Amino acid sequence: MGSILIVAEIQGGKIREASYELASFAQSLAGASGRSVASVVMGASIGALAEEFAKRGGGKVYAAEHAALAQYNAETALVAIKAAVAASGADLILISNTPSGWDVAPRLAAALDAGFVSDCFQIAADGNGLVLKRRVFNGKLDATIRATGEKVVASVQPGAIAPFTGQAAGSVEKLAVSLDPAGQKSRFVGIKQSEAKGVDLTKADIIVSGGRGVGDPAKFPEVIKPLADALGGAMGASRPVVDAGWLPHEYQVGSSGQVVSPKLYIACGISGAIQHLVGMKTSNYIIAINKDPDAPIFEVANLGVVGDLFEVVPALTAAVKTAKGG
Amino acid sequence: MKIMVCLKQVPHQDARLDIDAAGTWIKEDGIKFEINSYDTYALEEALRIKDAGEAEVVVASIGPERVTQALRTALGMGADRAVHVKDAEVQGSDALGIARVLAAIAKAENPDLILMGLMSDDGNFSAVPPMLAELVGVPHTTAALKIERSGGNVTVDREIEGGAHEVQELKVPCLVAVQTGINQVRYASLKGIMAAKKKPLDVKTAADLGLSGKVGAGAARVKVEKLAPPPKGDRAEILKGSTDEVVKGLVGKIKELGLL
Repeated sequence: MGSILIVAEIQGGKIREASYELASFAQSLAGASGRSVASVVMGASIGALAEEFAKRGGGKVYAAEHAALAQYNAETALVAIKAAVAASGADLILISNTPSGWDVAPRLAAALDAGFVSDCFQIAADGNGLVLKRRVFNGKLDATIRATGEKVVASVQPGAIAPFTGQAAGSVEKLAVSLDPAGQKSRFVGIKQSEAKGVDLTKADIIVSGGRGVGDPAKFPEVIKPLADALGGAMGASRPVVDAGWLPHEYQVGSSGQVVSPKLYIACGISGAIQHLVGMKTSNYIIAINKDPDAPIFEVANLGVVGDLFEVVPALTAAVKTAKGG
Repeated sequence: MKIMVCLKQVPHQDARLDIDAAGTWIKEDGIKFEINSYDTYALEEALRIKDAGEAEVVVASIGPERVTQALRTALGMGADRAVHVKDAEVQGSDALGIARVLAAIAKAENPDLILMGLMSDDGNFSAVPPMLAELVGVPHTTAALKIERSGGNVTVDREIEGGAHEVQELKVPCLVAVQTGINQVRYASLKGIMAAKKKPLDVKTAADLGLSGKVGAGAARVKVEKLAPPPKGDRAEILKGSTDEVVKGLVGKIKELGLL
């Protein structure tokens, strides 16, 4: 059996927490099957990071150092990862489902003619290959997936498992990567930081958010905003609302918007796609109002109402006003 | 310039999701289908390039007869031609199988730009675009929120964490997988829908693409063994009763939290 290769990721000069989560998966799979764990760390100057990752679950770390690997680009990352797969003899490659991970992992699978499963939160091996679990239909269903084939590439949902915190035997080996910037068909240009938000939801104690279930841009000022105002809170929204142009991006709560943790979060007509949940699930208390009893939002909410938000929300607004006035 | 847009037809986002008898997918009988939301943004992006000058937009999709509807909609929105791979042999393909089918079309069409959605609303795999780029041998990027063309290059702002954008430059020909919200998607006009009826829609099989035996369930390394609702562990306490009763419960809780 081949080894398990972790594709580690550097962010802000450190190995990402998600990479240590991959180490958890790799170490537990390796322990069960007697396979070895290897990793690839890539960047322009990574000596100390490679040493640290080797000691903390990365196993045999292949250090791919090259100026062209200083910033993420799918083409250069692919060259380094393919070199590490060849050097390690890996038949299972684990990559975090981060913006760079989801960009390169499927391409690696195609290049290796490997089976590919993305955004897994559970990985187990049995006699017939790997069994992986992931969410489908925007979080509404769980799929158990079997991956077979000589090689499997799996991308893993960040936060799916606790990061590896133990010590494990490891070593670092330099990995020669042949990269010629002049011959590249693509290149990293730069990072544009997000602009200052006109609406800072992170400071609000109470957030009332509306989703696709609100159905109409006119209903935000008519139904959602009045409840937020009555409670002295702020109005937020889920991604589909912003994508549809109903509200500007500054109202968006989620992994690609603002990550909030208010004392009270009221989700109205939000089904609860993972990217939204990531942005609000650490709220102190969550109330969800949705007509679909199976909506994933009820999985993270403390209190729920299965019903028509257009009946419940205005009635709640009126009751809050009465309670405050009385 | 030629732009190929890959579309997937998926169950409508509000469709009932009942598990089928085999327990491996949802029951598709009697539910509504629509073009994958991510792909509608890709099509819109292609149509904007077409509107700005000379570009031919070819849409491609894989699936049973119902997919004709999605392709006619795309033609009604302004695409010029459609290719529909309709073949039972392709059913059950994993992402790499689907990428092989689209790669065969891309190699025949030789587009300057391939546009598609970052992921599908049903499988959420986010796998086919980078795979397709690898099989065709062109550079790619994903989660595009802005696409600019200049000379032989395409410059793409891609969404990364915390609201920041990463800028990647790709040489044409290339593939860009777009994120939702990159534009405001148009509706097909009545005139467009009428005109679409006369636009070419080619139907192809796996054999036509030289892929007989190389795609479909038999070739798939990745298979869904079981589909089920997520475990209902720490679910919310659900308030029951009339609107008045429910609201009373909510107000009570908000008071208890000390927020009212």
